[in-house]
Amino acid sequence: MLDLMTAEFDLDASSTAPSKEELLARVAEGDQSAFGELYDQIAPRVLGLVKRVLIDHAQSEEVTQEIFLEIWQTASRYESQRGGASTWIMTMAHRRAIDRIRSSQAGRDRDTKIGIRDLAVPYDHVAETVEVKIEHERVEKAMSRLTELQRQAVSLSYFSGFSHREVADHLHIPLGTVKTRLRDGLIRLRDELGVGA
Amino acid sequence: MSDTDKPDTDLTGNGPTNNPADLAGAYALHALSADEAAEYERYLAQSEQARIEAAELSDTAVALGLSVAPVQPSSALKAGLMAQLASTPQLSPLPPAADSVTPDEPTATTDAPPAAIPIGSGSARAVPGAASTSASSADKFAAGKGSAAAPGSAAERAQRRWFQRPAGYLVAAAAAAALFVGGTFAGQALYGDPSQDFAQEQAASLAEINAASDSQRASTKTADGQDATLVWSGELGLSAIIVDDLPALGDDQDYQLWYIGTAGPVPAGTFDSDGSGTAWRVLDGTMSAGDAVGVTVEPSGGSEQPTSDPIVAIQS
Repeated sequence: MLDLMTAEFDLDASSTAPSKEELLARVAEGDQSAFGELYDQIAPRVLGLVKRVLIDHAQSEEVTQEIFLEIWQTASRYESQRGGASTWIMTMAHRRAIDRIRSSQAGRDRDTKIGIRDLAVPYDHVAETVEVKIEHERVEKAMSRLTELQRQAVSLSYFSGFSHREVADHLHIPLGTVKTRLRDGLIRLRDELGVGA
Repeated sequence: MSDTDKPDTDLTGNGPTNNPADLAGAYALHALSADEAAEYERYLAQSEQARIEAAELSDTAVALGLSVAPVQPSSALKAGLMAQLASTPQLSPLPPAADSVTPDEPTATTDAPPAAIPIGSGSARAVPGAASTSASSADKFAAGKGSAAAPGSAAERAQRRWFQRPAGYLVAAAAAAALFVGGTFAGQALYGDPSQDFAQEQAASLAEINAASDSQRASTKTADGQDATLVWSGELGLSAIIVDDLPALGDDQDYQLWYIGTAGPVPAGTFDSDGSGTAWRVLDGTMSAGDAVGVTVEPSGGSEQPTSDPIVAIQS
């Protein structure tokens, strides 16, 4: 039965490695080997982001495990016309990392320390592949186009997992200001990066 | 809108002049509380323009995420995940065509061995012998926040789906076995009892160790240079060894595991490898603090005491 399944997939697959979108579609059908392949392709990205937010490695691996179980469980809900598989997975990864922070007091204690670090060094200056390096430089350049307050607010929210209320407390500015800074900052980033253009 | 330095007219952000559209950025960055996010989603439901903005800003946030340097996960993480798949139900597609369970469907179920069909949504409930343990990650997920649908209905649908597709489940289980369990349990019939139970039990135990709050790991190389990892939880008193590309042994030999503590080596189970991929085995018995774990090659079925030097030993 396994051999038959494999033969069928070989007919469908092109000579190159299957895309993440194709793999997700197969995962939705319960294909475990497709899940393994998808994991190999994107797990380092997921763990990289989760660890950027949570810092602690063991906890980050635990959350990464939860994320991939959610991918397994909800792959059928992915709609390719709404965006790429990486977008779907990285959005889920970020939400899960944030959920972990919000659910633990440890996360809160951690916030103050990390928040200060993030203001000083907005990015890890480690880029392991050309692809990541290019993406990193592109984003860094776009971030440099933001006002200082926008950059701080976006960075504290996304990389440190602060809620907008916590950002307001931390930067001693009114919540309404934080809301507009986050929105205007992201809009500026969107335009600089050409997202959705 | 992108005029970023305009003065703020709403100093509190809580006044009646609050515009729900202002939440677009915080929403995309996951910086809203659950209540605030729900409020924004109600607004989204009414505005096509807001939905477009939300999608674009969410994609922008992803660009931030993709600029972070990747981090390679441990091989134990993948092994633990793959082991959980067979007992983790999947949601059916949203247009619920598959939800109409016809009276014919249950007959298909009877073709499958009962042991192969998970009863609950989590591995702990599906596996005999693991029922008394703490909830597995899958259970936590099912009950957790942020899933795509209400947990109850999701679990219900997922369960229906398994019952509709017993063949699919068997293929999935077989694929898992071929990928990660097959090597470990080589020589035992895949579908027959009790090996199926044993495989499930092993998979659940490994998942449990990985999910334990005190889960730890240590890595080393075998005598022949293969990567070997020990994962353990002192609270559970359980450990598992994971070895990449461990060579297959002949029919007359097995790998044997040992807990090595103050009382000397205690046998902790045997296994074999199919020679490729990742072989792993949760050790039999209870781990004590400070135990080392060793692997020797022994005559088929194992020995009372090690009869050869270990190919690998890892200190917990």
